[in-house]
Amino acid sequence: MSESAAISVTGLQKHFGSLSVLRDLDISIADKEFVCILGPSGSGKSTLLNVIAGLETADGGTVTLGEKRVGYLFQEPRLLPWLTAERNVDFALDGCNVPATRRAELKDHYFSLAGLAGFRNYYPHQLSGGMRQRVALVRSLCVEPGILLMDEPFGGLDELTARRLRVDLLRIWRESRKTIVFVTHNAYEACYLADRVLVMAHGRIRDEIVVQVPRPRDYDDPAIFDINREVVKRFLDAAELNPERPAEDAPALNPVLQSSGGLP
Amino acid sequence: MGVVSLRLASVAGALVLWWLLSLAMPANLLPGPWVATVTLAKDFAQGDVLPHLAITLLRVAGGLALAMLIGVPIGIFMGINLRAEKILDIWVMVGLTVPSLCYAIICFILIGLNEAATIVAIGLTAAPSIAINLWEGVKTIDFKLVQMARIFEVGRARILASVLLPQVMPYVMASLRMGLGIVWKIAVLVELIGRPSGVGFKLFYWYQLADMAQVLAWTLLFTIVMLAIELGILKQLEQRLFGWRPRVGI
Repeated sequence: MSESAAISVTGLQKHFGSLSVLRDLDISIADKEFVCILGPSGSGKSTLLNVIAGLETADGGTVTLGEKRVGYLFQEPRLLPWLTAERNVDFALDGCNVPATRRAELKDHYFSLAGLAGFRNYYPHQLSGGMRQRVALVRSLCVEPGILLMDEPFGGLDELTARRLRVDLLRIWRESRKTIVFVTHNAYEACYLADRVLVMAHGRIRDEIVVQVPRPRDYDDPAIFDINREVVKRFLDAAELNPERPAEDAPALNPVLQSSGGLP
Repeated sequence: MGVVSLRLASVAGALVLWWLLSLAMPANLLPGPWVATVTLAKDFAQGDVLPHLAITLLRVAGGLALAMLIGVPIGIFMGINLRAEKILDIWVMVGLTVPSLCYAIICFILIGLNEAATIVAIGLTAAPSIAINLWEGVKTIDFKLVQMARIFEVGRARILASVLLPQVMPYVMASLRMGLGIVWKIAVLVELIGRPSGVGFKLFYWYQLADMAQVLAWTLLFTIVMLAIELGILKQLEQRLFGWRPRVGI
């Protein structure tokens, strides 16, 4: 584990009754890195995010965060329906005690970055699904988290809207440079967004692929399609592994990665 | 047609129906709307209406306040605590089944023939319905919003006030309206058996004299006051509180 790790997780265990959701899980994520965790439903990826965020407690192992403030973008926007978009952001700013002098600037910046400058006084029910999720993104960015956790944030949107949001997310990330952990079951989404894709199955990280496509990326870059094909193959392999087998027996890691020391 | 004109048309239709029925029946059995209105106006002129109406309104207000004070906490507690639900649900059901007449008689015997007994009887009768309404409402609370608030380091008091309370408020408001409807009916019944004043007392008095014009006049008065409170106060309050809600057309 490197000194500059924004998130380091070691030996993480989590059980729900007799079901092991996280089994001795280790991850190290570098500062300002964009990591996607790819896994099928029930692989424990949401639980992992919740434990990192402190929403759930682990049954074993440690989570060390280099940054104090963690932002979280949920699958649903989770806006308070009785508040306007701007008041929803204020609610988070209040909670995080962001000084009043900074607020106007932060809101102006992120609302316009998300293309919502004209919609600050709209109520959630007056906005489309994609716009609601943008408001949620603005809310999580305005509190200036060092780490942003995202749990399938575009999973509930139609493909066209989701695609626009992915492109916008990368643009916003390039300007605001946060450490992002993005959970998804969409392999192409992971390949397009991430510096590194971690494949999760049965409560463990089973594989790891570095996406060496230079940024800014083109959504339809054939190089991403190629990596996607490789990732899907490894994703399927990982899902078929015997859940009881320890992580050491997982297929050999990407040689590029082993030298970078991303995983033990 | 606008909402107001639809409402007016519906009221006019009911009055016409009443009038037609009154034509078909003997005048002393079913007087028409005009006779009832004139009778009511005469009672007003004699100063007989306002004192009785005022005392009934006070009993309604007191009974409703008591019913909310009992029903709301019980309903919320049952909604958030499984053990409380299991212990209390049978008693809420029992409370709901016992006729209001029983509460009234028991209260008058135990507490005496006074205002306190009247208000307690009204409050106890209406409380179970309010508790059930809140109980169902609390179950619909979206706790994912609480998780969201925790991510943004929002404190417990603020979560209660700004995340949970606004979700419960529509149910409190609905219980208030429902409670009012129930309390009116109980108040009149309780007055009939144990009080020498109020709208219920007057209704019973005219019933004993078999004066249908007066019975209908007092019923009409009651309906008008009830509607005024519902549309003039509760509806406005609801619109002010829940203006953020989308309007749904079906």
